[in-house]
Amino acid sequence: MAVEHILQGFANVMDPVVLTLMIAGIFLGLLMGSIPGMTATMTIAVLLSFTFTMEPATGMMLLLGIYGGAVYAGSIPAILIRTPGTPSAAATIFDGYPLSQKGEAGRAIRMSTVASFIGGIISVLVLMFFSPVVADAALRFRSPEFFALAVFGLTIIASVSGDSLAKGMVSGLLGMLVATVGIDPVTGYQRFTFGTPELLTGVEFIAVMIGLFGIAEGLRTYSLGISDEQNRVDQEITGILPSFADVKSIAPISIGSGILGSLVGAVPGAGGDIASFITYNEATRWLKNTTPSFGDGNIRGVAAAESGNNASTGGALIPTFTLGIPGDSVSAILIGALLVHDVNPGPALYQEETGLLYTIFVGFLLIYVFILIFGLLGANYWARLINIPQSLIWPVIFVLCVIGAIALRGNVFDAWIMLAAGGLGYVMRLRGYPLAPMVLGLILAPIAEENLRRSLVLSNGSLDIFYTSPIALVVLLLSVTALLVPAVRALRS
Amino acid sequence: MIIKKVTRNIRQIDADTVKSNPLSIAFILFSLAVIYHANQFPDGGEIGPGFFPIMLSAGIILFAIVDMATDDETELDLSDVEVAPIVVISAILFAYVFLMKYTGFLVGTMLFLPIVLYYSDVRSKLLIAAISIGFPVLLFYVFSRIFMVRLPESQILPVSRLLPQLPLVVF
Repeated sequence: MAVEHILQGFANVMDPVVLTLMIAGIFLGLLMGSIPGMTATMTIAVLLSFTFTMEPATGMMLLLGIYGGAVYAGSIPAILIRTPGTPSAAATIFDGYPLSQKGEAGRAIRMSTVASFIGGIISVLVLMFFSPVVADAALRFRSPEFFALAVFGLTIIASVSGDSLAKGMVSGLLGMLVATVGIDPVTGYQRFTFGTPELLTGVEFIAVMIGLFGIAEGLRTYSLGISDEQNRVDQEITGILPSFADVKSIAPISIGSGILGSLVGAVPGAGGDIASFITYNEATRWLKNTTPSFGDGNIRGVAAAESGNNASTGGALIPTFTLGIPGDSVSAILIGALLVHDVNPGPALYQEETGLLYTIFVGFLLIYVFILIFGLLGANYWARLINIPQSLIWPVIFVLCVIGAIALRGNVFDAWIMLAAGGLGYVMRLRGYPLAPMVLGLILAPIAEENLRRSLVLSNGSLDIFYTSPIALVVLLLSVTALLVPAVRALRS
Repeated sequence: MIIKKVTRNIRQIDADTVKSNPLSIAFILFSLAVIYHANQFPDGGEIGPGFFPIMLSAGIILFAIVDMATDDETELDLSDVEVAPIVVISAILFAYVFLMKYTGFLVGTMLFLPIVLYYSDVRSKLLIAAISIGFPVLLFYVFSRIFMVRLPESQILPVSRLLPQLPLVVF
């Protein structure tokens, strides 16, 4: 890699217009990512048309600023109000929300910022130095490997089920069942649509997620009696910079999650949501017997999830740039943004558009530096938001939940789905069912089903296809082990 | 040993266990209904469209039974839970979404917010008015005018069309 390409990229990024648009993109991403239901995908899709008249590098900086900003900001409502701003922040709830309940929201947000920075920087470095190699490995993934990866993702249910594995499994399977609604991916048959056109494309999982975490939490708050004083948590305000001890404590897990998140992000179809669940799960395996335990407000749980989801952003760009295959929904839109400017993503991009490519790499690094600065400067302000009286904040959150669901497809039907999910989530939570497995099931079921059935079509119904692929076999064996170990442990105890 | 343990626990399921696990019973009944419905799906070759839903439903039934059979330490204390606020808030939310096609987002939210704020014990008329008018207008501009998200509009009284446009600059 020529140093002059990097220096030229740095000079391009320092252009005042490029820099201004990059910062504007980050702020837009921070704003939209912190509103439950507003995703980076939607924001970028809506603003794509603004970049048509810009230079390719300028437009990409705006879009990548939104991308990084939104993925980071999704953690803020996850920590403060137990509602992830974006799907990739769902795993941040497990430890982020308990921390804010202990009065440590500022600390949680600061560590989330540092971990996001570490994960983001690692992913961009992976993108710069290893993209051709990693993309080549991801390209070898076929249906059996994708199915195995989805099954492995589902084993995470075991670690997010809390005290009851059986309840977690019911919740996860229910989520998977909901994901089967809509047109069958193989035969085109309409399953469980009951003549409702809105259900043809399936149940919008973001609407379900908003309902499960936002509405259900609101109903629980009102059922326990809304009180501005009773639920007030005094937040510890300790300056702008994070403590050295905290940074030292999260650094190893953030680096590990950053590398793993980059690899997961490089697998087409596996976005920040899957990356964060996988890195969180791996953190619980790597760091056993920690205090406080994972799920009770462990700062390293926040770091693992946040480093993982931000690392997936750079990872997702690896197959996007080297192969023209989108790593996630955002990079699919980014491919469209490049094609508009007659820039064709693929192996030739590295020869024909080297200047553009290195401007993007250096710009994406700078975006994460800005996210670190803005995140740390704003952490205490965000933390104070939690003490806005509940009587004022919950009516506003209800409106944000409804508008978030409607904005997905411009359809009120999704608001009904959200309310139904909210009601179900409230009842399930009341009876001790964990809700995170349901979200996991919703995300992974389509990948699992489609690739299982495709694999069996390819093998004429024989299960040999899963044994003959070494990657699929290893991942499936790991999945079985991951599920059996906690189940046997639970039964023995 | 483990199989013996599971079998012993399953044998211990009685009428009281069933009564104290209404959600497990509901999930089992729901899964049975899904299996019945998915069985009507056409045969799709090696694995048809009904295969996955049937397998998932069978899994739900299995784990719901395991859940009932094992000692349940995750049940929450329901004594603190009040039903009335749930009913009232759910009804208001239901009405808000239901009436949105008639009132539109802007007016609907301006009606929804003061009711919920008042129900939440906010008594300052100025605060209620400021939030109920200011917040929907702010959201309307951000979503509808900047991000061009199509929000529900009232067919009877399209108030949002009266709001001025934003002077947007395109680079």
